[in-house]
Amino acid sequence: MKKNLKWKIGLTLVVIGLCIFLIYPPKDKIKLGLDLKGGTHLLMQVITEDAVNVETDQQIARFEDVFKKNNIAYTRSAKEKPGKFYFEGTRADQEEKIRDLIDQYTRDWDYYFTGDRINFKLKQAAEQFLREQAVAQTLETIRNRVDQFGVAEPVIQKQGSDRIVVELPGIDDPERVKNLIKVTAVLEFKLVKAGPAPDEQTLLQEVGGQIPEEAEIVKGDARRGLQGYYLVNKVASITGKDLRSVRRGTDEWNNPAVSFTLTPDGARRFEQVTGQNVGKQLAIILDGKIQSAPVINSRISDSGIIQGRFTPQEADDLVVILKAGALPAGIKYLEERTVGPSLGTDSIRQGLISGLVAIFGVMVFMIFYYQLSGINAVIALLLNTLLTFGALGYFKATLTLPGIAGIILSIGMAVDANILIFERIKEELAMGKNIASSISTGFSRAFTAIFDSNLTTIISGVFLFQFGTGPIKGYAVTLICGLVANLFTAVFVSRLIFDLAVPTNAKKLSI
Amino acid sequence: MQIFKKTTNIDFLKFKWLALGLTIAIILAGVLNIIWGHGLKLGVDFGEGTLIRVMFKEPVSISSIRQLLDDVGLGNSVIQEAGRSGREFQIRTVETRTTGQPTEEIENHQVLANKVITSLQSTKDKQQASQGLIDLNNIDNRSLTALLTEISPEQGEQLAGRMMKYRNEQGIIVDWSELQKEPISLPEEVLGKLQTKAFLGQMTVLSKETVGPQAGKELRKKATQAVTWAIIAMLVYIAFRFKGVEYGASAIFTLAQDVLICLSIYTFTNREINLPIIAAFLTIVGYSINDTIVIFDRIRELKKTRRKEPLQNIMNLSLNINLTRTIITSGAVFIAVLALFLFGGKVINDFAFIMLVGIIEGVYSTVFMSCPVVLFWTQLFKTQKKR
Repeated sequence: MKKNLKWKIGLTLVVIGLCIFLIYPPKDKIKLGLDLKGGTHLLMQVITEDAVNVETDQQIARFEDVFKKNNIAYTRSAKEKPGKFYFEGTRADQEEKIRDLIDQYTRDWDYYFTGDRINFKLKQAAEQFLREQAVAQTLETIRNRVDQFGVAEPVIQKQGSDRIVVELPGIDDPERVKNLIKVTAVLEFKLVKAGPAPDEQTLLQEVGGQIPEEAEIVKGDARRGLQGYYLVNKVASITGKDLRSVRRGTDEWNNPAVSFTLTPDGARRFEQVTGQNVGKQLAIILDGKIQSAPVINSRISDSGIIQGRFTPQEADDLVVILKAGALPAGIKYLEERTVGPSLGTDSIRQGLISGLVAIFGVMVFMIFYYQLSGINAVIALLLNTLLTFGALGYFKATLTLPGIAGIILSIGMAVDANILIFERIKEELAMGKNIASSISTGFSRAFTAIFDSNLTTIISGVFLFQFGTGPIKGYAVTLICGLVANLFTAVFVSRLIFDLAVPTNAKKLSI
Repeated sequence: MQIFKKTTNIDFLKFKWLALGLTIAIILAGVLNIIWGHGLKLGVDFGEGTLIRVMFKEPVSISSIRQLLDDVGLGNSVIQEAGRSGREFQIRTVETRTTGQPTEEIENHQVLANKVITSLQSTKDKQQASQGLIDLNNIDNRSLTALLTEISPEQGEQLAGRMMKYRNEQGIIVDWSELQKEPISLPEEVLGKLQTKAFLGQMTVLSKETVGPQAGKELRKKATQAVTWAIIAMLVYIAFRFKGVEYGASAIFTLAQDVLICLSIYTFTNREINLPIIAAFLTIVGYSINDTIVIFDRIRELKKTRRKEPLQNIMNLSLNINLTRTIITSGAVFIAVLALFLFGGKVINDFAFIMLVGIIEGVYSTVFMSCPVVLFWTQLFKTQKKR
């Protein structure tokens, strides 16, 4: 045997072995896209404006505080829009002091004076940072929630600057998951000063016509059976951040509820508040709506329950979101797809059957037309499919319906490569050349056509991959893998098989 | 084996005007159809709106579904039969055009979708549901597991798993007796208890897709961008490899023709354009470009040995020599796609259909259009240069 045949055989075997390793077991290594397997695909946008808004409110509150402590006079403060606010009615002789104070307390805000007004504007870089962080935190929180909910192999990814894609295989109750992801889940415990009252007017009359400065009005959550309005403390006694652990529990009437324990710091504050306010009501507020407002019977230190006519499912979901923490910004859904698993298994089964029939049909055709040489083409074809899947396994790519389209194109071009070579060999044979030189010329002549056509398509594939979104990307990946495999199998392996199977002095070629 | 005993000698370029006429006629027909006829149906992937797939226990007619939807004011929805049993349907709600924010609009779509689903539920189902019975054809995995563990603490989870798998395969459970048979084998006493708590609804929702206006617009933009860049890259590469802009230009022209002709024919079939169909178009274009390059490759080769011969003859010769290959390759691919078309099921069917059309069209465009365009181009630009 010729020496260079040995290393060619070796290389081919190594490649085959590697590919088998990469796709075995196929169930774990080849991931199917949602269109084949069934599941829920959600595309959402993080409202990063919320984060800027919160930061603005915090800054206003902070400077109100700072100015008061330092005896800076002003008549009022107001927010113009997120990232922009002002203080009005300052005194000119205090300008120097104000500048010092602002410089001391913040570097993220630009400020300038117009008359008796200080204007604050959030710096571009700081705003950018806030927005990015909001997206990153939202992503993390959503991941926590989905993990807590217990979905196998979820895909949670950032897309573009402020988009998040969530793909949940096999989930057949998308509404519940959607709600679970979307709730902001800001939990606050606030002391009730007055209420409940059927409407805001009545409530105001109860407290003398005006909302006290340190209080605010919050509505009861109708779903929890709490109608009416409450006047509560603006400052929360404890918040969701003080929770140490949360779990499903029951209240004294055996209804589903959520029980919690507090961090040492939270427990200390809770103990103080409950101890000083025995007999008063404490409102448990989730996303701005009161879930329940139990009366404080005694001093409570580090644990308690949240009740409020929950269904078992609602209680479970509340546990999940409280464990995962609050979202730093709101989100809105842009796109939602749920493919029923039945449609998924259906399309897999049918796709698989039809794919097998298709490959089998092509093989029969090739052997029928090219006889023994056709077997060579069949081997190249099988190998091409193996290599394509090996590459998919290596890149951890998901196989989707458009991806199958890419495979069809690459298999078709693999067959075509063999046909080009065989037809060329036939041409050479017809011109009266001997078999060995016909094969050799056939391969070298067909090579340019195969190379150019494959490379053109690979180039288009690369661009589709670069600029395309999900499904188009899936198509491009399988196509590129298939065509690269094609250049190897059609040109290299096919030739090797001819070299091995056809003796140099052969008198007849079955083609 | 040989299709042609000797290399054929057909003057393909003689037909160039005829071919050009035919191409223009088909494209024109498609354009007219898009404007005044069926129009271009963009799937939920590209437009906005909701696509719902439902399955019934019994075969239902499209007109009766339309009647049900009409009663809730959604009679203008697009209803298509999916599958062959007469039990599966695909319903596309028409766009809601409100002036509200994008968020509101996607919620509007969802409201519409829910309206469609409730309107399709039978009165009996609704009655049973209102009595607190659970619809086993619409229950999710978790709730089913909870329900069955309540009835049978030891076996509940297993039974639920088997039942879900069975429903996923069948789409819908038609009769209680199915539950007792293999593979679920629900014990008699569990079935008895289950029947007091649940019922088998007449309809189940297989899938639901909603795309908001913002996302739809972006998908359109991104897809166009990706395809445009891919085409430009191909043009540059072909022009470089075949040492002439005319070859690149011809390849792109052929490509444009492939897309337009297939699109034209597709509009007449009343099928929807969605992302898999875009992938099919890309595949068609891929095959056609492949064919064209093989011919160009032969022209490039022959030009070296037959310098004296006019380009037109060289082209004809290249086409004739490669005729066997063109027929066999397309034949092989045609066989493969035919299998997809026949056995691939609803989802793959649209895709395979346009591929079948595209393969035939690709051969036509390669044989009759790719070379004439190079000729036209050379006559148009090169002769002027020589003067």
